[in-house]
Amino acid sequence: MSDDIRRWSDELARDPSSLVFLQLSEALRRQGQVEMALKIALRGLERHQRNADAHDLVARIAVDRRDFQRAFDEWETVLRLAPQHVGAMKGLGYVSFQQGRFDDAEKYLAKAAAGGAGAAVTNALETVRRSSGSFGEASLPAEENGSAPSTGSRGADLNDLFADLLLDDGQTALLLDASGYVMAGVYLDGDARDVSQDVGAQLSGISEEVRRSTRHLDIGAWKSITFETHAAVVAMAPSADDTLVVVAASRATPLGLLRRLLDRCAERAGDWLAHGGGGRQ
Amino acid sequence: MTSPFTPLLESLTRQRGVRASLIVSESDGLVVDANLRFGQDGERVAALAASMYRKARLSATAAHLGAVAFLQLDAERGRICAVGGRGELVIVVVADPAANVGLIRVELLKALETLA
Repeated sequence: MSDDIRRWSDELARDPSSLVFLQLSEALRRQGQVEMALKIALRGLERHQRNADAHDLVARIAVDRRDFQRAFDEWETVLRLAPQHVGAMKGLGYVSFQQGRFDDAEKYLAKAAAGGAGAAVTNALETVRRSSGSFGEASLPAEENGSAPSTGSRGADLNDLFADLLLDDGQTALLLDASGYVMAGVYLDGDARDVSQDVGAQLSGISEEVRRSTRHLDIGAWKSITFETHAAVVAMAPSADDTLVVVAASRATPLGLLRRLLDRCAERAGDWLAHGGGGRQ
Repeated sequence: MTSPFTPLLESLTRQRGVRASLIVSESDGLVVDANLRFGQDGERVAALAASMYRKARLSATAAHLGAVAFLQLDAERGRICAVGGRGELVIVVVADPAANVGLIRVELLKALETLA
């Protein structure tokens, strides 16, 4: 990757109007060098103002920087330039969801799904519909007789999927779909604010990096990742249908206890998904 | 060839189940020093472990969880543990799935103090 970055940098230095700025900026963004990626993307955009991919790139960088309004504006520009751009529809759906505008999120994600965006967008759309309470009766799974948590009926509180497994108020658990959207569970911060979406979106990015690492190191499929931070201990594990279970607890929680919590939540998530949770038939 | 980090790495690799220990630069994934078993690709391990640690650090910071002190990845055929947060360097251990991670964690945190 660093060889590619060097090569693209050299090419851009030789020809500042080259479109290689797109690849260079994207590579830097993936490496976490967001500010440098933005600088290069904006310089490229000055020369290629009608390039939809350039606006799309700036939008994605804006999301990394949590500048959702900028991201929204850029993706709207993408759609003006390329009305069928599925990435922009997905992005607008994501930003609208972040901003609590569920109707708009549903509208954009539905367009993306109609444009062939794939299973991740379909799952995201279901999540939005659940969040906005607009899930139709016919699409809900039948409830099993006590063999699964009663989350299959209209009005069920998906926030509580893991509630009985958590030992104290400092513990939290989330089930995320492949796009990093929250499917179930809740994450409250120290001020009791629901920050599930933010935290879920940020932490879900780690799983892609982990998958890449285990593949290249040939150590088999990943089973879990655990990390201690100054504020919390966090553990994550993959679950069915490309979902991700995330549990977090206060810093004082023993790691062994956290791992047991993760195992139980992963089992609960697997049962829930197998019994039709998330809208599966 | 010995470096100032050699005793630290030897101490880690002596732990049962440890296949490799490395000190890597987080920003570019380059090996600073390594103690590897025969056949281990230190550069690949360093690059990927640094990348994963950095991703975890950036994600945790963005989620307002603070700096990452210890990270453990469990996979079917191995596990990777890493500590960092003191400057640019990350200490990485590659171990067998059955290795005692509790002991490895204690040794890694001790090693991190030495680096500081």
